[in-house]
Amino acid sequence: MGDDTKSNTKLLDELEKGPWPSFVTEMKKAAETNPMAKDLLGQLELSYEERIGHWKHGGIVGVMGYGGGVIGRYSDVPEKFPNVAHFHTLRINHPSGWFYTSEALRKLCDIWERHGSGLTNMHGSTGDIIFLGTKTNELEPVFQELTQAGFDLGGSGSVLRTPSCCVGQARCEWACYDTMATCDSLTRAYQDEIHRPAFPYKFKIKCSGCANDCVAAIARADLSVIGTWKDDIQQDDAAVSEYAAAGLDIQKDVCDHCPTKCMQWDGKKLAINNRECVRCMHCINVMPKALKPGKEKGATLLIGAKAPIMQGALLSSVLIPFVPAAELLDTIKELVSRIWDFWSEYGNNRERVGELIQRIGMPAFLDAIGLDPVPEMVTAPRDNPYIFFQTKEDGQETK
Amino acid sequence: MSEPAKRITDIGPPPYEKFLHPLIKKNYGKWLYHERPAPGVLCHISETGDKLYTVRAATPRLLSIQTIRMFADLADKYSGGYLRFTSRNNVEFLLDNPDNIEPLKKELLAAGFLVGGTNNSISNIVHTQGWIHCHSAATDASGIVKAVMDALHDHFTESKLPAKLRIALACCLNMCGAVHCSDIAILGVHRKPPKIKRDVLSKVCEIPTLISSCPTGAIRPATFEGKPSVEVIEEQCMYCANCYTVCPAMTLNDPDNDGLSIWVGGKVSNARSAPRFSKLAVPFLPNNPPRWPEVVDAVVNIVDVYARNARKFERMGEWIDRIGWPRFFELTGIEFTRYHIDDFKHAGTTFARSAHLKF
Amino acid sequence: MAVPLETLVEEIYKMVVDLQGKKNVRAMSLTKAMIDKYGAGEVNKEDCKHAIRQLIDSGRCVYGYYGGESFITIPRKEEAASG
Repeated sequence: MGDDTKSNTKLLDELEKGPWPSFVTEMKKAAETNPMAKDLLGQLELSYEERIGHWKHGGIVGVMGYGGGVIGRYSDVPEKFPNVAHFHTLRINHPSGWFYTSEALRKLCDIWERHGSGLTNMHGSTGDIIFLGTKTNELEPVFQELTQAGFDLGGSGSVLRTPSCCVGQARCEWACYDTMATCDSLTRAYQDEIHRPAFPYKFKIKCSGCANDCVAAIARADLSVIGTWKDDIQQDDAAVSEYAAAGLDIQKDVCDHCPTKCMQWDGKKLAINNRECVRCMHCINVMPKALKPGKEKGATLLIGAKAPIMQGALLSSVLIPFVPAAELLDTIKELVSRIWDFWSEYGNNRERVGELIQRIGMPAFLDAIGLDPVPEMVTAPRDNPYIFFQTKEDGQETK
Repeated sequence: MSEPAKRITDIGPPPYEKFLHPLIKKNYGKWLYHERPAPGVLCHISETGDKLYTVRAATPRLLSIQTIRMFADLADKYSGGYLRFTSRNNVEFLLDNPDNIEPLKKELLAAGFLVGGTNNSISNIVHTQGWIHCHSAATDASGIVKAVMDALHDHFTESKLPAKLRIALACCLNMCGAVHCSDIAILGVHRKPPKIKRDVLSKVCEIPTLISSCPTGAIRPATFEGKPSVEVIEEQCMYCANCYTVCPAMTLNDPDNDGLSIWVGGKVSNARSAPRFSKLAVPFLPNNPPRWPEVVDAVVNIVDVYARNARKFERMGEWIDRIGWPRFFELTGIEFTRYHIDDFKHAGTTFARSAHLKF
Repeated sequence: MAVPLETLVEEIYKMVVDLQGKKNVRAMSLTKAMIDKYGAGEVNKEDCKHAIRQLIDSGRCVYGYYGGESFITIPRKEEAASG
């Protein structure tokens, strides 16, 4: 079969050349023993020849009781590639921080060898473990074996998608809160919201430990949790001197890149005006041994990021400037329950929460979720005079 | 199907704690700083004095169970069975013994998995499913990633750029992944309005949903052979394919007119400058499998020009901020066209509304 | 609650059956329809959530998915969307 596979994939074979690890090699490894992987390779070769995809929209497919976690997929050339006529993908809740033991990975591999294509993504864009392609009648067995092994499905469709987080305090000195515990708690608390669609559209939560934002929370999450601190940067002057002695140009490489120019270096001592620091992380990134986030740690909560479709891409914007780490989980839970209540009721079909805010206006959204406006929410106040003045029931003007 | 009573549901992921290396458990939240002994190797130092070594290797994201088992074997041999994956699809082995670093690197390299991706490098390309598993893909994803990274692999295994450079690829405008905020984004695009399968449309699609799916209002009701249908005002269509997402009878995939666009200067990190979207550099390149030479050349050119001209710590967008867009187009030799000037909603925000010009 | 769970279950099921093939109905639309029908004092969101969960867990209804949108429908033979 190996030779047969090779002779039929002339174009894909070109992608086994070169130093970067090859996905074609991966597909061929699986194809040696798995007919689904073999037909996937065949169909992909056809796509390469014709420069067009050969998958149809999914239908109704999933495991009993859940409305998320399985992506239905069907070949439009099933007569040529019968083993991928159905080729449904499972999304599986990943453990926080994508940590595994060899034993856990082998368990997953064994399940997927018995019931699917033997191909995976480690991991999908949202963060889930992806089991790439199986037949409809294998879905329930694979689900049952997964849950026996302690794993569960992730989200798809109009649900909360599996939350994700950076490596956080497990292996990073910059994490301003416990991203992994937060992500894990949220994933556990909202299993119902992940598995049983009740929202207008998808909702993503991503937790980054600091403003370097290693999980791209600000670009990809409807609710972005980004670690920060409130007090002064912790500074070790002896270590600053060490960096300078080792050849770091503190003026040029640190002070000159500070976005608010809040640092001064006189050749001996680094002085930081912490009142003007925006906590961008640059100086800390450059001198991890000398500078670190302050002691009063927590996170900023931001709302509304999404990709372009349909009204244009959005980055998340500040909703709560600072939540102390100890109050973070409870605050997030209270906040999302208010957001979900409002969005579920007033959101249009397929309207992300960021688009809802665009449609009704941020002030109306703040009213709806019971948050007071604060200047940290904007880069500047409005520059147009079209104010929707409101009066309270008692005739007083509202602020 | 077995008895519903036996089914376990809603358990979530396994607790992460049981997957943490004992050294991580002991030093959780106690890390002081880190060093970068070599490309692809990190050393985290704890306040307890403990040191944790990380060895990072590239994966193609699409992994066979055979390869995952090989990673598991390597973890057993070198890192006490503990490993993790990164948000950019790299694999990381977590070691307490520095003597294991070199033998592990050797085995990874022998198996074809490059070690690197740390500090000022080009890490793995975040990407989507493409023709491997998506119905709306305007192009493949994995193939372009492979071809681009073959050309740029020395930027993964070495750390010689002015700053980190993040590349991402999405195979259509739905953009699974943070493509829109990358130093370089490669994006699959369509260039023709949908071809309507009129014979099946009324059977498979909800027409009001279909009409409201169009961001520009280009889809309006019509009848076809006495049945409700739609028509497309073609000059209003900007090929986003949102109609295809809600209705399979609105087909856009087209071998000759689909292709790739390239975007530059986005970032998600807040370091120095604020997070921002990537901006259009190259509006269209042909879909040319198996190795997409036009896309590879365009990306390599942008990386080369950036590497030669940017100052230390300047991300792509920060470098362009300093030199200005006219100079970016001049240095890269990319043609500036009418397509680069925004004409969608809020277009004016990218117009030059000052007399600040560099010549 | 004033409306018994069984009544709510049957009313929701009837609505899903009636809309079958006409409109993909979301959980929230079903909830709103029940609140409109019985009044906010008689039935609430949680009641409807329980009723929908019962319909899904019993297999009388299933979740469908189409074009990025999830909805509730009646089980039917599996098929790819023709297109």
